[in-house]
Amino acid sequence: MAQQIKVPVVGESITEVTIANWLKKDGDVVKMDEVIAELESDKATFELTAPQAGILKIKKQQGAVVPVGEVICELADGGQATPNSKPEVKSNSIVSTPTAQPMKSTDGIKEMKVPTVGESITEVTISTWLKKDGDFVKLDEVIAEVESDKATFELPAEANGILRIIATEKTTLPIGGLICKIEITEGAPASTAPVASAPTIAPVSSDKSYAAGHPSPTAAKILDEKGIPANQVQGSGVGGRITQADATNATPAKETKPAASTTPPAIASGGSRNKRNEKMTSLRKTIARRLVAVKNETAMLTTFNEVDMRPVMDLRSKYKDKFKEKYGVGLGFMSFFTKAVCAALNEFPAVNASINGDEIIYHDYCDISIAVSTPRGLVVPVIRNAEALTMNQIEAEIARLATRGRDGKLSIDEMSGGTFTITNGGVFGSMLSTPIINAPQSAILGMHNIVERPIALKGEVVIRPIMYLALSYDHRIVDGRESVSFLVKVKEMLEDPGRLILGV
Amino acid sequence: MQYNVIVIGSGPGGYVAAIRCAQLGFKTAIIEKYSTLGGTCLNVGCIPSKALLDSSEHFHNAAHTFKEHGIDIPMPKVNLTQMIKRKSEVVKQTCDGIVFLMKKNKIDVHTGVGSFVDKNTINVKSADGKETTLTTEKVIIATGSKPTPLPFAPFDKKRIISSTEALELKEVPKHFIVVGGGVIGMELGSVFARIGSKVSVVEFLDSLIPTMDGTMGKELLKSAKKLGMDFYLGHKVTALENKGKEVLLKAEDKSGKVLELKGDYCLVSIGRKPYTDGLGLEKVGIELNRGQVPVDNHLKTKVDTIYAIGDVVRGAMLAHKAEEEGTLVAEQFAGQKPHINYLLIPGVVYTWPEVASVGYTEEQLKADGKSYKVGSFPYKALGRARASMDLDGLVKILADKNTDEILGIHIIGARAADMIASGVTAMEFRASAEDVSRMSHAHPTYMEAVKEACLAATANRPIHM
Ligand SMILES: Cc1cc2nc3c(=O)[nH]c(=O)nc-3n(C[C@H](O)[C@H](O)[C@H](O)COP(=O)(O)OP(=O)(O)OC[C@H]3O[C@@H](n4cnc5c(N)ncnc54)[C@H](O)[C@@H]3O)c2cc1C
Repeated sequence: MAQQIKVPVVGESITEVTIANWLKKDGDVVKMDEVIAELESDKATFELTAPQAGILKIKKQQGAVVPVGEVICELADGGQATPNSKPEVKSNSIVSTPTAQPMKSTDGIKEMKVPTVGESITEVTISTWLKKDGDFVKLDEVIAEVESDKATFELPAEANGILRIIATEKTTLPIGGLICKIEITEGAPASTAPVASAPTIAPVSSDKSYAAGHPSPTAAKILDEKGIPANQVQGSGVGGRITQADATNATPAKETKPAASTTPPAIASGGSRNKRNEKMTSLRKTIARRLVAVKNETAMLTTFNEVDMRPVMDLRSKYKDKFKEKYGVGLGFMSFFTKAVCAALNEFPAVNASINGDEIIYHDYCDISIAVSTPRGLVVPVIRNAEALTMNQIEAEIARLATRGRDGKLSIDEMSGGTFTITNGGVFGSMLSTPIINAPQSAILGMHNIVERPIALKGEVVIRPIMYLALSYDHRIVDGRESVSFLVKVKEMLEDPGRLILGV
Repeated sequence: MQYNVIVIGSGPGGYVAAIRCAQLGFKTAIIEKYSTLGGTCLNVGCIPSKALLDSSEHFHNAAHTFKEHGIDIPMPKVNLTQMIKRKSEVVKQTCDGIVFLMKKNKIDVHTGVGSFVDKNTINVKSADGKETTLTTEKVIIATGSKPTPLPFAPFDKKRIISSTEALELKEVPKHFIVVGGGVIGMELGSVFARIGSKVSVVEFLDSLIPTMDGTMGKELLKSAKKLGMDFYLGHKVTALENKGKEVLLKAEDKSGKVLELKGDYCLVSIGRKPYTDGLGLEKVGIELNRGQVPVDNHLKTKVDTIYAIGDVVRGAMLAHKAEEEGTLVAEQFAGQKPHINYLLIPGVVYTWPEVASVGYTEEQLKADGKSYKVGSFPYKALGRARASMDLDGLVKILADKNTDEILGIHIIGARAADMIASGVTAMEFRASAEDVSRMSHAHPTYMEAVKEACLAATANRPIHM
């Protein structure tokens, strides 16, 4: 009699699970309470244990999404007779024990879990595996790149041994989630392939090989046209390869296949009508969640003003060559704005404060976050103690942080703890916008493009380079008087940079 | 006349692109400046060179191996005029075949030099000076390549010649000098060596066919020497002059020692350069990069509607590479997303024994620091090779040390050119050496050497060694 094993109820709101990994193969003998598979829900990963001993018959393949209560495998009787977990090897008389064991197994398995990487980080995404399943890895060798919403970091192997990947690329795991296992061995593999000399007994198709998930040339073309990444398709070919039929039958993760793409493309225009489904990166997901949270949880509003940029521009063009020569960095507008903001923050400390429960935290320093657009999205590195820095120090620090941002190298430290943010939508041509506060901060200054506008000056119409400024602030702790005065202060200092020096 | 696609150049890149465009329903035209279609490959490249290689190999066998096979004939004589005539007929039939294919697919053929007026307008100027203007939505540049001369010795096409003239010689050279031991030099050099010329190859590098796996160059050198060819490797040619009845070549080795060779013809086969003369690229703002038309991964130039393929873009100068690119561009126009795995474009040298390769060379694996294992198997141990007396050669398989995945297949030996296709198949599907060794290979065939080399690579257990 075979016992059917169903997806257990694992939590209130969980209706389906994904089979993350079969730890036992079809036909394996399993012992009672032995972990046979890892299941994954949108909330957590958990282990499936065998309720009795028996021979495993897999019903749902790795990667399959199975509703709670549905059968995922069966356990047939017969397991009890062979307590050894590898009976098929013993019972086969042709197989002699391999004489030279190329690697010595020191019967340990190291489970590698997502480490705690930073205060506010709750989950990470495996961005790239640098080693393949079955590869031999050395202690401290970098085996994967992992991405959080703040930074990308490298994952070093925690032991010498054979890598068994649990979380495939693009999987998102909570802190403490199981990433991979390392079957600990002593020394490196010998020169001959370790398994090649023993005839294969297990059915080949259930064996995950290095080529699992590799699409045939036609399959690759079909998948690309459907916009389905190969790692979302279960290959039925030898060693898990993706065959043409697998690709033809594959459907995108969420059924949103547009009808249009099945009709032949319009020939005259040759324009594509494809849609693509792409998983959001961790960074994107976090940005999305945060922005909505800020809108919901603060009393945010925006005040505007305008600056005549002529004085700053004149000063800059007069000294920019000398500045560059002396300090090796260009003199941009950011240093002026940063300086002006620091002076204004000093005068209106609420703008530089944040709410923590029932308390208000005032900062006696100005850590200015600068929004930088990178290929991966917006990042906000911090200039520490900007109030104490000289103009050239500020410019140098911005240049350094921007480069690190573009290269994806910013550390979490470099991006946390700012007390106020400056964002410049002007670089993309924005005339006016209402920026969203970078929580838990209380205010953000939006810079915009500089446009020549006619203005009235002493009763005459003159043309001046004007920039609109916007200050979004949390009305819970910043009053209207403070926010407006803050912005006026910034404006006045920029229109008369001498005040920056004199502190008036 | 309004087209969806205009292809400029009718070589294997251009004509294949045109056919695929037509199959996909685009109104297509092809422009070719010569009166025959087919480009370098059909007219003065792959096809004529193979015709002469086969004829000369037959002669060589008649003269040298028939006796051993038990066929007694009087000493055969070369009739070069007939050889060239047969070659020309082969070329003509093949080129006519392209004309037929153009008709069948309703592709308009415009004869003349195509040049851009703007990105949607192409001017065609025929040999008699007549000009036609065509308009189009998309353009595929497939203008191919031309032989590179030595900087100090331009082709005079009489004694200092390129491959084009070598395929039209009127007499068997007494001493045929070849500058450049690459594919074209080795192929044409062996043609004349087989029909009785003394052949000397002068090569700047220390090995032949230097882009291929080192073992291949070494083995090719051995077999070419058996054919009587002379080699001067590591020699830099410093002067080359047509002295009227003969050419005089001077070269230096690394120590500065001077070599002087006199011969009646000198083939300069040091490479080919992309050809864009008269194409008017400046009209559409495309600038060349080291002679090549720069393209992105989709073979698109900096102009959104203009694509380029084949010898005129980066990558190996091979007919089948140009063909794959032609197909890729056409299918992209229809919104499809085909792939080309450039690593798996095979390279072939049609000498005898032939050389054929796919994947990484051992030198590349070493340079990349990959851990790999090597399995090789000699033709000598094959029943098939003994039966046909084609004993020179070997198969070399490179496989990943950990996974056993095949990383490179290198064959020198009889029929290697045809055998390499199964290597491409294996690698496209990422087969392991053991996978291939577990597939049945007909006996007796040359392919058994591949199976045996795979056994050698997977766990050093060939059966017949
Ligand atoms: C002797 C020799 C032997 C070779 N053997 C082999 C082999 O065995 N296997 C292999 O794979 N490759 C071989 N090659 C290389 C192969 O010929 C080329 O890689 C291939 O022809 C490139 O194709 P293509 O379509 O890019 O260009 P081409 O074949 O060079 O065709 C370009 C065409 O465009 C035309 N053209 C150029 N400009 C214009 C213009 N402005 N207007 C109109 N028409 C224009 C040219 O006249 C030409 O017909 C050999 C080459 C040579 C020289």
